[in-house]
Amino acid sequence: MRTLKLTGQVVALAAVAGMLALLVWRLTHESHPPKIGGPAPQFSALRLRGDGRLALQSLRGKAVVVNFFQSYCVPCKAEAPALQQAYTQYRKDGVVFVGVDYWDSIAEGRKFVEHHGVTYPVVRDPGGSVADRYGVTGTPETFFINRQGRLVGDHILGPINQGSNRSLFRESMAQAVKRS
Amino acid sequence: MRLAALAAVVAAALALSASALGACAKPKVSLAKMEGEVMCPICHTTLDQSDSLAAQQIEQFISARIARCESESQIKTALVANYGTVILAAPPGRGFDLLVWWLPLGGIVLAALLVAFGAWRWRRARVPEPETELDPETERQLDELLARFD
Repeated sequence: MRTLKLTGQVVALAAVAGMLALLVWRLTHESHPPKIGGPAPQFSALRLRGDGRLALQSLRGKAVVVNFFQSYCVPCKAEAPALQQAYTQYRKDGVVFVGVDYWDSIAEGRKFVEHHGVTYPVVRDPGGSVADRYGVTGTPETFFINRQGRLVGDHILGPINQGSNRSLFRESMAQAVKRS
Repeated sequence: MRLAALAAVVAAALALSASALGACAKPKVSLAKMEGEVMCPICHTTLDQSDSLAAQQIEQFISARIARCESESQIKTALVANYGTVILAAPPGRGFDLLVWWLPLGGIVLAALLVAFGAWRWRRARVPEPETELDPETERQLDELLARFD
């Protein structure tokens, strides 16, 4: 009888410990926006066009603009030409643009980049894990990484070419390309 | 001979037109069924609850595959390859996700065992109440009292 009682208590304790572990896991895995000034969350993702992966680590030493988008997102369509134009303008300064197409169909994503003449590298994020790491709350959303691999400026929620986002984009780009 | 050749041409034309239209004579699954099992990742609801552009794109994705006579599991595999597992309303029954299915079942079985064990113990602990005997003095007084009512 004592053994049974003890077993019951151990089982109950294990159940409570399990619930607690799940709660802790949930809290620690919630997506939070990364801190500006802190290291940019690393990722390695499959390219949308062609084969192979692109790792953020491989772009170390360059300023990087990371733009999250989806083919069915209307503001992303409005932003795409401006983003491509900005890429053409800033690439001579050693800036790399990376598009992250998340929660999207591969075919539609490819159509999107083709239609808008996007020439910078674009990666796929089917499960949204990269978007989670950056704490993305909507699309389009743009982040700026300096040559030291740190997030700088303000991340831009919405098209970079609308309203106050224009000046925000210029300021953030200036911080990203600055050589310290 | 000429008739046979004509028949072959007509048959080939029909087959070509059917495949060109992407028609499936007998679809293996309906869009309505899939809509209840597939999520719109942006809206966090199933497709049948959403009218967003994302949901519409996913519906087109599914419709195109239904028209190609693909089965439910083939369509779901394609959906996961494109959108990740978040696209499925119910998590896949393998790997770590299996816990979602087995944990509640295990909990119910464990709870039933605990209740059964508790009931068994409770029944065993129930002992008949001992009959209390009155001491002779009290019995005598009670008899006297009752005798007054006779």
